[in-house]
Amino acid sequence: MAPEPEQLSSLSNPLATVDQLSTSSSQLDGVPADLEGSLRFAGAKLTQAAGILLRLPQEIIAQAIVIFYRFYLGSEGGSFRINAVKDVSAASLYMTAKISFLPQSTRSVLNVYAYLLSPTSPLRQPSEGITGKEKPDAESYYLSEGSYHSARATLLQTESILLRSISFITQVTLPHHLALTYLQTLGVLPPSPTTKSSALAARTLAHLNTALFSPQLLYLTHQPPHLAVSAIYLAAREVGVKLPSMEWWEVFDVDRETLGFLVVGLGSCEGWIEGENEKWTEISCPLTLDELEEEIRRRDVENG
Amino acid sequence: MASHSKSRWADDEEDAALEAQRKREKELKRKVKAEKQRKLEEQESLRRQNPVDATEDATHDHEAINGAAERPFKRRKLSPEPDTPLKELPPAKLLRFPAPEWGPCRHVDNFEKLNHIEEGSYGWVSRAKETATGGIVALKKLKMDNSNDGFPVTGLREIQTLMASRHTNIVALREVVMGDKLDDVFLVMDFLEHDLKTLQEDMLDAFSPSEIKTLLLQLTSAVDYLHSNWILHRDLKTSNLLMNNRGQLKVADFGMARYYGDPPPKLTQLVVTLWYRAPELLLGAEKYGAEIDLWSVGCIFGELLTKDPLLQGKNEVDQLSKIFELCGIPTEATWPGFKRLPNARSLRLPSISQTTGNVLRAKFPLLTTAGSALLTSLLSPNPAQRPTASEVLAHPYFREDPKPKSTAMFPTFPSKAGQEKRRRLASPSAPKRGDAPRIAGEAADFSGIFANRDTEEVGGGFALKLI
Repeated sequence: MAPEPEQLSSLSNPLATVDQLSTSSSQLDGVPADLEGSLRFAGAKLTQAAGILLRLPQEIIAQAIVIFYRFYLGSEGGSFRINAVKDVSAASLYMTAKISFLPQSTRSVLNVYAYLLSPTSPLRQPSEGITGKEKPDAESYYLSEGSYHSARATLLQTESILLRSISFITQVTLPHHLALTYLQTLGVLPPSPTTKSSALAARTLAHLNTALFSPQLLYLTHQPPHLAVSAIYLAAREVGVKLPSMEWWEVFDVDRETLGFLVVGLGSCEGWIEGENEKWTEISCPLTLDELEEEIRRRDVENG
Repeated sequence: MASHSKSRWADDEEDAALEAQRKREKELKRKVKAEKQRKLEEQESLRRQNPVDATEDATHDHEAINGAAERPFKRRKLSPEPDTPLKELPPAKLLRFPAPEWGPCRHVDNFEKLNHIEEGSYGWVSRAKETATGGIVALKKLKMDNSNDGFPVTGLREIQTLMASRHTNIVALREVVMGDKLDDVFLVMDFLEHDLKTLQEDMLDAFSPSEIKTLLLQLTSAVDYLHSNWILHRDLKTSNLLMNNRGQLKVADFGMARYYGDPPPKLTQLVVTLWYRAPELLLGAEKYGAEIDLWSVGCIFGELLTKDPLLQGKNEVDQLSKIFELCGIPTEATWPGFKRLPNARSLRLPSISQTTGNVLRAKFPLLTTAGSALLTSLLSPNPAQRPTASEVLAHPYFREDPKPKSTAMFPTFPSKAGQEKRRRLASPSAPKRGDAPRIAGEAADFSGIFANRDTEEVGGGFALKLI
């Protein structure tokens, strides 16, 4: 008997519709499409960095990034010109942690974001890093009591706005654990790991984490089994592990076409990320509303 | 196995001989079978060694299509050019995953409020009609506690766990809608006519044994579903069990529900309404699990039998003493380590063995042996001794007579939540002393016969309309 579709929620996610992918609230507000892509990437990077500083497991960070993407999607979603990248990133991380086993206080979240947005933050530095400079100025990321209270008000308000625009669907199923199960099913992850099998598993998970930054929003367009299978396919090729010479992906309900698309998508992530890092060497990608307005003005001037 | 157990009617020697005979026959049969298998295999290998001619190939293909076991043949085909045999495979049937969508919440104006139902622990519930479709739903407004942590985590968990729970015996969350203020959030759920508590208050007799079994089975299958999805309900009680007029029970109010794990994360002990709260929670256990829900199921079972809540403690201490009175005082033997629980140290327990007995059996004399065994196990003070939900579902109590009643055969009741009332017919009282009424003059005037229709009590369902 085929399982009821409703029983598959532990394997699947809500996906973006074609309409949601073709237009966005930000574009309607006059944010150029390429800038929108950069803002998404910067937001995901910010969330990942904050999650690491808060010592949250990758599971919660990945879920927060997916929820961050969900918010800005579609013409009815949020707009980068109304809700700043930094606020939505903080709200999604705070909210995701709240319903997890590792809730975080508003103070720790806001402290981390204050640091990451300060001029001393590694995210705000050109790629050379801060090695050559003097000690980072602690004043620049100190959160005074007054600014803490106003920042908290913004955080909590953004949380409500975020929840409303994703209609409270906070469930995000990740492909990571599926990928490990699939590797075991394929017989390439023996109980006592070899160097090769460990490398394969690590590479698979690395691809899944990189896919979080894909401009194609792979986590919003593809189901977890699809992502897991394509990450395994790519990782096995790179590590040189032989997988069954038949259409094994069909066992996991993935067709050849989807697999091909995703493998190309995963493979293109590296180039995109390098491009983004090069693009924002002179100035850092706008994370606040003021910075975004300035960037849009600058572009208007450039284009005459 | 008559031959194994010694029967005093049987002659031992004869029995042994018979057994030996049977054994020999069995051995013989096994040998014949093995021989047959061996011969088959030999033939097979012979065939494989022979060069495959055209006709045989055809038969093989035919067999392969029919799914006959031709493994070695297939395997050989797979070697250097994997594409040729694969193309012959029919396209695989792949599972398509459901992909619901998301968008902003709709506004609560899409619903028209009909009447107020109740105030639960985490919000107000009212009956409402969706203006576009005319469908009747229950609208639950989430209570916003004024804490500093933003959107209340209980509300988020309620939505999260309800969305993840799709089961016939769990009330369905249709969507979440919003009001004008950022704090106004409403859950749109299926409307059910009754909750078990109000229903029982209005009933003259308790549910029949067969009805209790059906209710209990439905409740337990919902609990089993929740636990297998790592969700704790943490507030099971009769007022949170809804029922419709088709005898279906649905678990509602997930205001206390949350995901748990193994090992369990640190959880708050301030859960579950006092009368349904498990002893380990009352004793302040740091870690607890699915067993607390099964204690509540036991309390509900007892309540269904008598129509009254089983353990009505006035406060935590009173609740504990009522539990020990009914289920016996735990000892180091029945509940290892219970003395080390935070609140157990301050307890002064009588050490006389007479008072430590379990009086459940005496309290429910009409319950069958299986029934009281189930109730006793659900209400074991030691959480480790309580059965899991799936063990309850398999309990012999549900298989013995009277069998669980089919939900379709359940009686229906007027719904309080739907503002239905029992039709009360005013029966005439005995004639009063005085003159016997004269019919002649007044009785000719029947104009008043349909007067006062408005003041009459109207039932919810079917009523003749006068035009």
